[in-house]
Amino acid sequence: MESAEDWLVESLRLYQDFHAFDLSEATRVLEWIDDKGVCVAGYESLKKNEILHLLLPLRLSVKENQGLFPERDFKVRHGGFSDTSVFDLKHVPDTRLLVTSGLPGCHLHVWQVTEDSDVIQAVSTIAVQEEEGSLWPRVAIFSSMAPGVLHGARLRGLKVVDLETQKTTYSSGVGDSEELSSLQVLDADTFAFCCASGRLGLVDIRQKWAPSENAGPGPGAAARRWCAEVGGRRRGPGPSIASLGSDGQLCLLDPRDLCHPVSSGRCPVSAPSPAPELLRVTWAPGLDDCLAISGFDGTVQVYDATSWDGTGGQVEPVFTHRGHIFLEDNQTDTAPLVTTHTWHPHKPRTLLSAASDASLHVWDWVDHRAAC
Amino acid sequence: MPEIRVTPLGAGQDVGRSCILVSIGGKNVMLDCGMHMGFNDDRRFPDFSYITRNGRLTDFLDCVIISHFHLDHCGALPYFSEMVGYDGPIYMTHPTQAICPILLEDYRKIAVDKKGEANFFTSQMIKDCMKKVVAVHLHQTVQVDDELEIKAYYAGHVLGAAMFQIKVGSESVVYTGDYNMTPDRHLGAAWIDKCRPNLLITESTYATTIRDSKRCRERDFLKKVHEAVERGGKVLIPVFALGRAQELCILLETFWERMNLKAPIYFSTGLTEKANHYYKLFITWTNQKIRKTFVQRNMFEFKHIKAFDRAFADNPGPMVVFATPGMLHAGQSLQIFRKWAGNEKNMVIMPGYCVQGTVGHKILSGQRKLEMEGRQVLEVKMQVEYMSFSAHADAKGIMQLVGQAEPENVLLVHGEAKKMEFLKQKIEQEFRVSCYMPANGETVTLPTSPSIPVGISLGLLKREMAQGLLPDAKKPRLLHGTLIMKDSNFRLVSSEQALKELGLAEHQLRFTCRVHLHDPRKEQETAMRVYSHLKSVLKEHCVQHLPDGSVTVESILIQAAAHSEDPGTKVLLVSWTYQDEELGSHLTSLLKKGLPQAAS
Repeated sequence: MESAEDWLVESLRLYQDFHAFDLSEATRVLEWIDDKGVCVAGYESLKKNEILHLLLPLRLSVKENQGLFPERDFKVRHGGFSDTSVFDLKHVPDTRLLVTSGLPGCHLHVWQVTEDSDVIQAVSTIAVQEEEGSLWPRVAIFSSMAPGVLHGARLRGLKVVDLETQKTTYSSGVGDSEELSSLQVLDADTFAFCCASGRLGLVDIRQKWAPSENAGPGPGAAARRWCAEVGGRRRGPGPSIASLGSDGQLCLLDPRDLCHPVSSGRCPVSAPSPAPELLRVTWAPGLDDCLAISGFDGTVQVYDATSWDGTGGQVEPVFTHRGHIFLEDNQTDTAPLVTTHTWHPHKPRTLLSAASDASLHVWDWVDHRAAC
Repeated sequence: MPEIRVTPLGAGQDVGRSCILVSIGGKNVMLDCGMHMGFNDDRRFPDFSYITRNGRLTDFLDCVIISHFHLDHCGALPYFSEMVGYDGPIYMTHPTQAICPILLEDYRKIAVDKKGEANFFTSQMIKDCMKKVVAVHLHQTVQVDDELEIKAYYAGHVLGAAMFQIKVGSESVVYTGDYNMTPDRHLGAAWIDKCRPNLLITESTYATTIRDSKRCRERDFLKKVHEAVERGGKVLIPVFALGRAQELCILLETFWERMNLKAPIYFSTGLTEKANHYYKLFITWTNQKIRKTFVQRNMFEFKHIKAFDRAFADNPGPMVVFATPGMLHAGQSLQIFRKWAGNEKNMVIMPGYCVQGTVGHKILSGQRKLEMEGRQVLEVKMQVEYMSFSAHADAKGIMQLVGQAEPENVLLVHGEAKKMEFLKQKIEQEFRVSCYMPANGETVTLPTSPSIPVGISLGLLKREMAQGLLPDAKKPRLLHGTLIMKDSNFRLVSSEQALKELGLAEHQLRFTCRVHLHDPRKEQETAMRVYSHLKSVLKEHCVQHLPDGSVTVESILIQAAAHSEDPGTKVLLVSWTYQDEELGSHLTSLLKKGLPQAAS
């Protein structure tokens, strides 16, 4: 096994830029606040957790003269304390509000980030009707003049609650008890859901519940857990939904026909994910048909779907980030697990990734295929 | 009320110009005496008028402590001691004492020669100032006077940097100066024992940051150097004579070895001598643990790094050169810079802060056309990189240090209060301490409850124990004794012993009261009546009738006498000592009520 020093030397070739940070607690969330800062939050169950708003090192925000900015550090712009664990955190666009969700799953918490103080204040809570033991509600935000919080742990509990009045403005109204794994708002009227079973749907909230969805869990689905993500910047025809299974199966779907994946491939993961709740698949905002996945081990893998033959066979990543494994502090016996990752909004190959050992990396990978 | 007072001096909220005044146990200590590098006028100095209002600095201050050689911690020292006036002791570690004057002289040269400043301290002033320095070793308890003691702890950061504990009696303050909690290649991490000071004062400039790992910063440096060298370019790294250069050389040496690179690396000649000097200072400074990580040979003699000759600057092909001075303001580094600036394949890496007016400062501000001597314009096409290698404690580091020292209170200096409320809450919650963040010029007063140890004499202790009551740690116990304070010693002894030791005689206070009784009988009979009465009423006391006719109750004496003028009245003389005041008063009021009629 390569030592950290060897890997670092190797990294000169692999990365254009690379930053590694140690947070005081591990995070499962990385939520962008405009393009200059991210929020992270702790997820431990028996203690106070911190919610932090971090500003990226200036050199990652400037377009020119990067060499003249020596500071490579995150700035803790705001911080707050949460009595409950935080598994999901969403920023309400165009406001200074954050919504968090975690265990116990009976409440969502609303926070405010102010300009003249660096403390994140708890503002209010939103009651979640069904308390579900170990399930916690997924959250997505309908941003508008009157923002609404879409939340639910199961399909039957899906609701949109007006942030200010706390009135329910939409309810799924179904009795289906399928467990949700991801929720994503697509525009002012539509959202996408993905169940743990792999069932996907697109819902128009102006109508009574009638999602366009896929046929339901495929064979052998019980052993797998799924998550999904809709690509934000996709224009024109082609797949814009990615669905990832805990065995490494990655499917690309067109929203107009969720029943038949356009393309699929099997990612080379050594074992099924030990923590399928941490599975994450994301679309690169600046690169066509590029995806990143994490949640299987201490790596983040980047794929270029244009090179797939789509038959579901083994696919190879164009890049694998191994930093969390090699730069691990050796404090614990267990290898770190990547808990979440996200792409930089406008630097095409820059990602942020966080792991269970409280590490946080910012890395800009080199695409060696571009040489030809 | 006993208290500790802390005032950070200087105007404005800017970083730099570290200078903190601490009053503890009646002593006044000044911590650091820094210069603010951004100002050209008096604003660069701390505001000493705050202290001089009280009279002469030398009389007011018991000592000055300098944490390390960076100018924002010692830059104003010669001004303070020679121009404002201070003749007391100045404490610092040995390496700081060796390096300070070099940096001060360098800075003086730039200020006076380059910028033509008047009213700046002179070379002689620097020398005179350094004569007042008393150098200390790590973990050595230094008695400033018979009450004030100080002790230095390892701070990492730069060679010779120390954190200081200031102690008067049972009260103490720890000042960190600049420190770091993550070790680098040749300096270890800061360390302090669980000394539990009343107050920990820590710099908080980087308190709201989360630092990029050392490895990534090194990687960035190596990448830049490698890229330049790969494309055939020359890399200039201006450095100060001592300190950072060593760290970077170790790094490059390791990298060159691993990558089997051939491009030459040079170290300008001035640096080679200083490297040996540095090595000697270093080896005596660090502890066993650090020393063990080094090989027998001088770690600062490098295999791949050779002495530079100015002719090499014209050699074709790639190379890396470390040259002084660090801000490109004169000398060899400036010469090399002028030769290489015009080629875009070349690179200059500035490893630290540059003072205004220097070429280093100009190019870091983005200037690409420089006016040199003789009106020559130099066009800078080479790549300019600014890298920060300074090791400071970030939020995590501060939490670690607080956890190690276990102070009762924490004080953060040099941060902006509005931007540190979260950190304050974090420290307060995690460690259950109070956290203060004074602005410059604002005083924080901390009430303390110092414990004063008092020795108790064995005799007194035994007597108290004989009372039968067991001591209870939670309940205060009332004790009668005499407190003898001699030198710095406190002893509690019994009164008798105190009198004996001091050669004093004990005075007895005796009270006498006259009670008039109507009784025509003879004195002896009156006395008998008194005796019978008291015996029956005061059952719990010892009442006796003495042969001479007097009555005693415990040690109180009652005598009956005839009234001089009225034979029908008897006068009872009741006499008691001060100790029996209570019983005496009780007896007197009892007797004043009169005696019961005797049975016939």
